[in-house]
Amino acid sequence: MAVKFDLNEREVWDGNYAASQALRQADVDVVVAYPITPSTPIVENYGSYVGNGYIDGEFVMVESEHAAMSGCIGASASGGRVSTATSSQGFALMAEVLYQASGMRLPIVLNVVNRALASPLNVRGDHADMYLGRDSGWIQFGAFNAQEAYDLALCAFRVAENHSVRLPVMVHQDGFITSHTAQNVYPLTDEAAKKFVGEIVPVDDMLDFSRPVTYGAQTEEDWHFEHKAKQHKAIMDSRSVIDDVFTEFKELTGREYKRVESYDMEDADVVIIGLGTTVETARVAARELRAETGIKAGVVAIRCFRPFPYDEVREALKNAKSIAVTDRSSPGGAMGAFYNEVSAAMYTSKNRPLVTGFVYGLGGRDFSIEEAKRIFTEQQAHADAGYITTDIQQFSGLRGPKLGFFQTDRS
Amino acid sequence: MTEIRWHSRAGQGAVSGAKGLGDVVATTGKEVQAFALYGSAKRGAALRAYNRISDEQIFNHAKFMNPDYVLVIDPALAFTDNIEVNEKESTKYIITTHLSKEELITGIPALAGKEDRVFTVDCVQISLDTIGRSIPNSPMLGAFVKVSGMFELDYFLENMARVLAKFPQKIIDGNMAAITRAYNEVK
Amino acid sequence: MQDLKLLANDNRGRSQLEAGFDLLGWDEVTQGSVLPSFDGDATGIANMKAEERTYSGYNSYTATVASWRVIKPVFNRDICIDCQNCWVWCPDSSILSRDKQMLGIDYDHCKGCEVCVEVCPTNPKSLLMFNEHADLEESLASWPEKKKKEKKSEEA
Repeated sequence: MAVKFDLNEREVWDGNYAASQALRQADVDVVVAYPITPSTPIVENYGSYVGNGYIDGEFVMVESEHAAMSGCIGASASGGRVSTATSSQGFALMAEVLYQASGMRLPIVLNVVNRALASPLNVRGDHADMYLGRDSGWIQFGAFNAQEAYDLALCAFRVAENHSVRLPVMVHQDGFITSHTAQNVYPLTDEAAKKFVGEIVPVDDMLDFSRPVTYGAQTEEDWHFEHKAKQHKAIMDSRSVIDDVFTEFKELTGREYKRVESYDMEDADVVIIGLGTTVETARVAARELRAETGIKAGVVAIRCFRPFPYDEVREALKNAKSIAVTDRSSPGGAMGAFYNEVSAAMYTSKNRPLVTGFVYGLGGRDFSIEEAKRIFTEQQAHADAGYITTDIQQFSGLRGPKLGFFQTDRS
Repeated sequence: MTEIRWHSRAGQGAVSGAKGLGDVVATTGKEVQAFALYGSAKRGAALRAYNRISDEQIFNHAKFMNPDYVLVIDPALAFTDNIEVNEKESTKYIITTHLSKEELITGIPALAGKEDRVFTVDCVQISLDTIGRSIPNSPMLGAFVKVSGMFELDYFLENMARVLAKFPQKIIDGNMAAITRAYNEVK
Repeated sequence: MQDLKLLANDNRGRSQLEAGFDLLGWDEVTQGSVLPSFDGDATGIANMKAEERTYSGYNSYTATVASWRVIKPVFNRDICIDCQNCWVWCPDSSILSRDKQMLGIDYDHCKGCEVCVEVCPTNPKSLLMFNEHADLEESLASWPEKKKKEKKSEEA
């Protein structure tokens, strides 16, 4: 019998601690890990919960992140509830195995504390690692603060282990900005959390000796395409399951999550659409700017980055005049990936708003309220002119001469 | 919204101090935020920690702030770091030093003319006397409680004891003594 | 001489590996390309003899890989000492043995690699390679005599 963990109704937790508490309450059976900054405390805390008898689980230290995800696959294929955490270079090393996990339809929950990718070496938060996982077939949730890192981790198990989904889920939080910032967190009681998450009901588990199975089959051009299409269909269909889990979570806690979040969008002309903590800072800026200037500013946020909420994005932005899409990852010779996805969604909309892209916040560069206001104001100028008056791709918060690419073709 | 910036060196406990303060403040029903700019910082490296305190949920995740309080827990940083950066006209400074307020301000031109907003307390000596090591974060909390008037001392001590509950009683007692002494000595 | 149907139930080697099954659509393939090894409840199957097991169509047991074999090992019961060396070394589990008695070759899965012949310690060998088309009785009839040990040269 596990030792009772002393929990208050109101805690002051950082994102890492919050995520580790979700793993404890979800009764995770196995964590296989190779810790890396800034996600280290998540798996470290899980290990201490096991060591101190708060949870009956296994903490397995391995020699690399590649091995960590491989171990998670083994444990998950065996039928256990499995989770781990990583960041940045560790995520990159894990990348090959991420595709194995999703292809084998294993419901692993990976807590990703977003951090920049070297070089130059940097331990702080940007979304380079999150973007690296965007085609890996994992469901990707984004938390904007510590409370959400906790809530979404609990929801992630429900979604992943649902038999019509059976896909791994990443819960992303911003390195340091969320992971190392202590804020008020209102946890569920252990009983309520356990009841919400429930017991895992295994599928094709390798420890079922009445039905031995082979994992990791080879398929060539005659079979591979069908399997990948089936997998794609599954992640597309997970949208309704995610919505159901969020609805149930709201009934339990009063905290409402949507795959696309909208703030002050009822009458907004100019919009910042973003991921992670940036969203909340932009919300403050929108409110202040409305009061100061009358500019109708609003914020749209992606809660569920994969499956990409194409229809919900289009719905949320349907009345917008000018949209700034914020990419916290160096695009390496393209428009930002997020910019491209939002643009693609809006291209098939009736009113086709102006869409500009901002690369910002790389390596943890601060994103301030003032900068968000400047971006909103610039969008208003585009909306008034009826075309994009600046470069389409710009850099926000960058030192040196102004850097930007491509202009509206008005010929 | 009350915003606080700590100037410290890695190892002096500014991050723990900021988180401890957040913990206590949260018990009053307020929303708090505690974070720091560190990561690959080694012991002794200058760092800044931050608190935000509000009656409503805190959405601002920017590091940038115009602090209401600047807490300096390393005596040398008062001279070498830009402790006045992004200050407001009402920003209050609590600085650990063995110098008198007049001596300190004479040595730091940026504080000239701000005598009524500068408070001094020797957190290093207090922690040496009470805890036995130079851990100037706890005394700084005592000084902050006095200067800000945010809490009654007894209420703060009671909740701080809860935050420190995992430590041995001797450590808790030392911290309580440190907070109390700084509360009484800050000028 | 080996019974070619030795230990085989109806399932063994019934399909060519390349041919596979009916090519299913994306909506019909197994989830996660996870493949069950047996049809039905396989509880206790480790204790069953091969011919009693309900190998599924996904199991390599039911597929043959023999069609590209050029030379095959032939087993001579009269010489074999049941040392099990070939059983240990065969990379395709194609030596059929029961109760430590050598029975013959699983020609549905043997690829003709010759390892069994290499490791056979008898004189002459109890396993020898013959052309895939060679007749079994003719092969056994042409089995070589015991070789005499070559005496070491005194000048060596």
